Amino acid sequence: MQVSTHELKSKIIESLKLQDITPDQIDDDAPLFGTGLGLDSIDALELVVLLEKDYGIVIKDIEEGRPAFRSVKTLADFIAAKRPQ
Amino acid sequence: MNEVSIFAASVVNPADLAATHLVRRLGQRFGRLDLQSQLALLAVESLELDFSGWARDRIGICLATGTGSLSTDVSFWQGWNGVGGPSPTLFAYTLPSAAIGEIAIHYKLTGPNLCFVGDDQIVLPEAFDLIRRGEADGCVCIFSEVVSVELAKIIPATPAASAWAIFLKRGDGLHKLREFDRDMKALCTLIFQIKSAV
Repeated sequence: MQVSTHELKSKIIESLKLQDITPDQIDDDAPLFGTGLGLDSIDALELVVLLEKDYGIVIKDIEEGRPAFRSVKTLADFIAAKRPQ
Repeated sequence: MNEVSIFAASVVNPADLAATHLVRRLGQRFGRLDLQSQLALLAVESLELDFSGWARDRIGICLATGTGSLSTDVSFWQGWNGVGGPSPTLFAYTLPSAAIGEIAIHYKLTGPNLCFVGDDQIVLPEAFDLIRRGEADGCVCIFSEVVSVELAKIIPATPAASAWAIFLKRGDGLHKLREFDRDMKALCTLIFQIKSAV
């Protein structure tokens, strides 16, 4: 089941305690790390915890998760593909 | 010029975190800091210092924290009870000196830094020595005290949260520091009285 990118962005903002930013200000295709949202390695770990807590997805292999963390869109697609039914 | 003086002082508590104009200046990532780092950073921002024109490697940071990172340690430990484990972000703050790092990063201060776990009496003499020995031209001094409700259930302490900050540098300021000036909280109060009288 596809995940709403708006909902996912809200969860990211809440989980990472981002200030002065709304879901509408985050581009679905913008990079999450480096440029774009400018997240760092600690944020990546926090997103791994978010996936487990909110979507029941456990990332055991970092190589598996790496492409998923490119953007909100790729993360939403990853959740849709891996989410337990 | 061997005199060292207090040039600015501030005190903040959690209610001040709602002071949006100051918090906004601290950036989008301020929210992820633990309470101790937030209060310490906000206390320094409240000093209204302008570091432009300073050699950033000549400004020290001295921090004393009443209970170290114990409140954050407890929060982190309690996170093990939830799905996915504790917050990785919180882990970064399970060090008493974490606030020094946040202050150093935000203001790009690369001078010497010192961290003490204890009361507010040790910071000013150590900062005074740093400047007097010529290792720094100025020093940001902070005392923070954070005892969460959860921590107060474990140690004999009352829940509390506040941070005091003082900026010391060479020259004539609001108050010339003397060898026996140790009480940071009292000196902050004195500085507020001096400023309100001006």
